[in-house]
Amino acid sequence: MADLLEVQGVVAGYGESVVLEDVSFTLREGGSLALLGRNGVGKTTLLLTLMGMTRLHKGTLAWRGEPLAAVPPHHRARLGFGWVPQERGVFPSLTVDEHLEAIARPGEWTAARVYQLFPRLVERRGHFGNQLSGGEQQMLAIARALMVNPTLLLLDEPTEGLAPVVIDELVVTIRKMLASGRMAAILVEQHARLALQLTEETLVLDRGRVVHRSPSRSLLEDPGTLDRLLGVA
Amino acid sequence: MLSALPGVLFDGVAYGSLLFLISIGLSVTLGLMNFINLAHGAFAMVGGYACVVATLRYGLPFGVALVVAFAVAAIAGGVLERVLYRRLYGRSPLDQVLFTIGLTFMSIAAATWVFGSGQQPVRLPDTLLGQTRILGVDVGIYRLFLIAIVFALASGLALLVTRTRFGARIRASVDDARTAAGLGIDVERVFSVTFTLGSGLAGLGGALGIDVLGLDPTFPLKYMVYFLLVVVVGGAGTIVGTLCAAMVLGIFDVAGKYYVPWAGAFVIYALMVALLLLFPRGLLRRIR
Ligand SMILES: Nc1ncnc2c1ncn2[C@@H]1O[C@H](COP(=O)(O)OP(=O)(O)O)[C@@H](O)[C@H]1O
Ligand SMILES: [Mg+2]
Repeated sequence: MADLLEVQGVVAGYGESVVLEDVSFTLREGGSLALLGRNGVGKTTLLLTLMGMTRLHKGTLAWRGEPLAAVPPHHRARLGFGWVPQERGVFPSLTVDEHLEAIARPGEWTAARVYQLFPRLVERRGHFGNQLSGGEQQMLAIARALMVNPTLLLLDEPTEGLAPVVIDELVVTIRKMLASGRMAAILVEQHARLALQLTEETLVLDRGRVVHRSPSRSLLEDPGTLDRLLGVA
Repeated sequence: MLSALPGVLFDGVAYGSLLFLISIGLSVTLGLMNFINLAHGAFAMVGGYACVVATLRYGLPFGVALVVAFAVAAIAGGVLERVLYRRLYGRSPLDQVLFTIGLTFMSIAAATWVFGSGQQPVRLPDTLLGQTRILGVDVGIYRLFLIAIVFALASGLALLVTRTRFGARIRASVDDARTAAGLGIDVERVFSVTFTLGSGLAGLGGALGIDVLGLDPTFPLKYMVYFLLVVVVGGAGTIVGTLCAAMVLGIFDVAGKYYVPWAGAFVIYALMVALLLLFPRGLLRRIR
């Protein structure tokens, strides 16, 4: 069986400018991948490229063996990409309920199940996107992505700018989501250790290139390498 | 002087209703795609001529002619969006302005060629003619009918936008087209449907407005400024904002022409300057 996602020699960026110099990796069905790297190395650009929102200069993307390059973003969502953008992209003029309903696709994730996962959002059902706290917005962005019933969840720095207690709550939830094993995920995180604990494999980017790939566990047990790659303790 | 006020207000509201009906499509187009469609008034004109042809040439009842006007303008809008407008999305505002002003002049030339340059007559059904008395004010029955239709449509639109799934998709696309697309919303299709609906409403407004605004080939140019004012003052992409702006402009235009006829259109331009200084982003900004 073909891999869920296969990225081959991808060169991509914005307009004429190139951000990703040469990126290749594969992800199996149900697999989880941490995407690490310092600020500005191209992690968000890689996720946007998977969503079809950048300019692909070279290389190929394949979804279950089918080429993706010509597939527009809204079709990728329908194929099974569940995108949680870095800026969260919560809609100011939609209520929490509407965020879920407007994009819902049939599958095991229903509004009721999503609310079970994020009980905090229940009290906010009728509130508009711009009336939510940062943590609630992040939960909504994830809840919304689940409503497309994704095969692959793309999480771009979900803990960014959140208070430690909120992060803890979110991590428990993300762990629960990934534990089922039915949904694959790519997790971009600044908190490297957190990401390593949550995922099977890790990819480290530097200036648009993959500079390291290994099981997350082995990187977790090798602080020296982690430090060298990311400059974190 | 003041004894005329209720009548002036009433006529202003009727006039504002028409401005709303014609401008709402423009407002949504601008809010949704940042697309500047100066030719929007041409769709209103198409509806007007469709109504004239339907009633005078084919003898259809006025009510049926209104439906025809909506349908013809909607189809014209839908087709042009597909074959022409779509190419202009994301282009510079200058390209969009030049293209749509060109389209406006083409529509004027085409209308002159087909219908001649004269004002078109309209035959209203007898039941809509004459005056009636409400709260001691004499009001034209046709204007009353106009206001009723537009308020019904505005309520319907507001329900569509605020209560339906399609409405939520429109709002999501207006808020953030990229994220909406990334979540599976076909923003292009949302836009096509909205553009078609907006053109149809403009056509309906053009037909309903023959008796109030008149109808000749210069219509799209003559009223362009009014439609743009409504959208700019109301805030692109908002139904309530567009309605408020249309009412304010309608009332002040009618009142200005009645009380200070020597000032001409100056009244509403002064009003626009004042409103834009007070609400630089429009009375209401978002689609609600
Ligand atoms: N919309 C854009 N247009 C042009 N350059 C961009 C854009 N977004 C990001 N970049 C550039 O691409 C590089 C990688 O950015 P990004 O992918 O956001 O990094 P990361 O997510 O790893 O912090 C940066 O140098 C950034 O300045
Ligand atoms: Mg980033």
